[in-house]
Amino acid sequence: MSAAARNPRLVVALGVLGLIALVSIGAPWIASHDPRAAAPENQLLEPSGEYLFGTDLLGRDVFSRVVYGGRRTLGVALLTAGITLAPGIAIGLAAGYAGRWLDWALMSVMDALLAFPSLLLALALVTVFGSGVVQIAFAVGIAGIPAYARVVRAAVLEARAVPYVDAARAIGARPAGILARHVVPAIATPLLSFAGVTLSWAILNSAALMFLGYGGDVAAPDWGVMLADGRESFRTGPWVAVAPGMALSLTVFAINLLGNSVAPPPANR
Amino acid sequence: MIGYSIKRLGSALFVAWLALTLAFVALRWVPGDAVDATLARGGASPGEVAARRDMLGLNDPVWRQYGDYVMGLVRGDWGESLVTEQPVAEIIRQNIGATSALSGAALLIAVTLGVVLGIAASLGRWRPVRYGAEGLASLALSTPVYWTSTLAIYVFSIVLGLLPGVGGEGIRYLILPAAVLGFHTAGSIAQVTAGSIRDAMGQGFVRTARAKGLPELDVLDHVLRVGMLPVVAVVALQLGFLLSGTVITEIIFVRRGLGRVLLTAIDNRDYPVVEGLVVLSALTYSAINMLADVAYRVIDPRVRMEE
Repeated sequence: MSAAARNPRLVVALGVLGLIALVSIGAPWIASHDPRAAAPENQLLEPSGEYLFGTDLLGRDVFSRVVYGGRRTLGVALLTAGITLAPGIAIGLAAGYAGRWLDWALMSVMDALLAFPSLLLALALVTVFGSGVVQIAFAVGIAGIPAYARVVRAAVLEARAVPYVDAARAIGARPAGILARHVVPAIATPLLSFAGVTLSWAILNSAALMFLGYGGDVAAPDWGVMLADGRESFRTGPWVAVAPGMALSLTVFAINLLGNSVAPPPANR
Repeated sequence: MIGYSIKRLGSALFVAWLALTLAFVALRWVPGDAVDATLARGGASPGEVAARRDMLGLNDPVWRQYGDYVMGLVRGDWGESLVTEQPVAEIIRQNIGATSALSGAALLIAVTLGVVLGIAASLGRWRPVRYGAEGLASLALSTPVYWTSTLAIYVFSIVLGLLPGVGGEGIRYLILPAAVLGFHTAGSIAQVTAGSIRDAMGQGFVRTARAKGLPELDVLDHVLRVGMLPVVAVVALQLGFLLSGTVITEIIFVRRGLGRVLLTAIDNRDYPVVEGLVVLSALTYSAINMLADVAYRVIDPRVRMEE
């Protein structure tokens, strides 16, 4: 049996994500209009051949804005996920491997941060950093660190309990070497799978802050901003919100599917 | 058991204190506060602004402000808003009812829907039922409330005219926001339920029960007893997420509540209010987790045995 037939979810997920990535990268060639060009005379036109997904309150083409919006929304989300992953992995490795007081100190701070729901923490951090795209990425990214660090630490604790780690220590291997050679490969799969979850949180939470208006540039094509625009005009033009909403859900759905197909839920054995 | 509860209470208080301290330091560290934002913008002279800051104690060293704040909290004085000068405790009292009603109703919907979907996805007789339930759970996870809310208001309130859309108070105004928030939350409850039941199905006691000829209904009872345990933990976790879900839901449905208070306070840089809500959130979260841990021990004797 071919790999594709054995794991159809993986194929669907990769296909959808690949398509979304292509559209985002090729936005300048795919978009039919300027995503920022307002044309008041074209206010809230229904979807048609000229405007595939209709126009919004300012007469901007919704299709072109969705296409360009993918760039911004997913770009911010990738930056956000990076800001979560790097420190999250470092803290989790340090706490899980060093143990004792360092573990206690790091995990106490992580627990204190976990006491805030991640979106509330991100909101509080946006107060500190101010509005803007990069600020949102940092706020949401930092808010995600404690959960990721906890997952990494749990995986490390499990991985270091196996005999070959003791054996490596017994023959005098240095901690950094043991981490790199024995622990990290053993925990790669759960970390990758949770990185998928982290990326979908990054998308949903950064789009939430965009939706709430902390993105700085209110005219920018962005799925979160577009959902906020759509809310203003959904009585007369529901299509303004439907297109970015579908794009957002499809992306997150595909990422979750990818995560599930890489590390299947424990049940499928 | 009692010893465990006391130890757990101690660590919950410690976490809440640490959370409060982090929030205090972070917010004091930022340049600009509500006095700048409101007074100075309103055209007050620099002298007036300075006098006001002095009166509020904002010119004291940070450690003294921190000491005053913590001592105040212990006495039950949560400070007052820099904008409206209303006591923070009173602001919370006035708004907590609406937020509790919303998150309570949403939790009820989330647990019911999540558990039903989880059971259908893992134990459903027909493949379409299992796939359908699984798909619905994934859909719930990938549709944020700021998107489904708009859709729900459009469909149920504008097209069908069944329910009131935004604003107002009372049960009829609670249904849509609670359903939207509950649907999103149901997604992860469903996934955890399904995974945990599938795990339980693979365990030895199921084979034993079948081998000795127990009716399938009794086997199911065994499976559910074990399979539902992790659901307690995830429900506790989701309660925390519900708190942040209410922020967005309250804005979209134009409802009163703590989420709206928080956003206004953030926009005005009204720190005492933000801090008060942070403390409330950390205390609630710690309390819920503590209760979940203790409940876990009461329900599952195996956890107690491990100590």
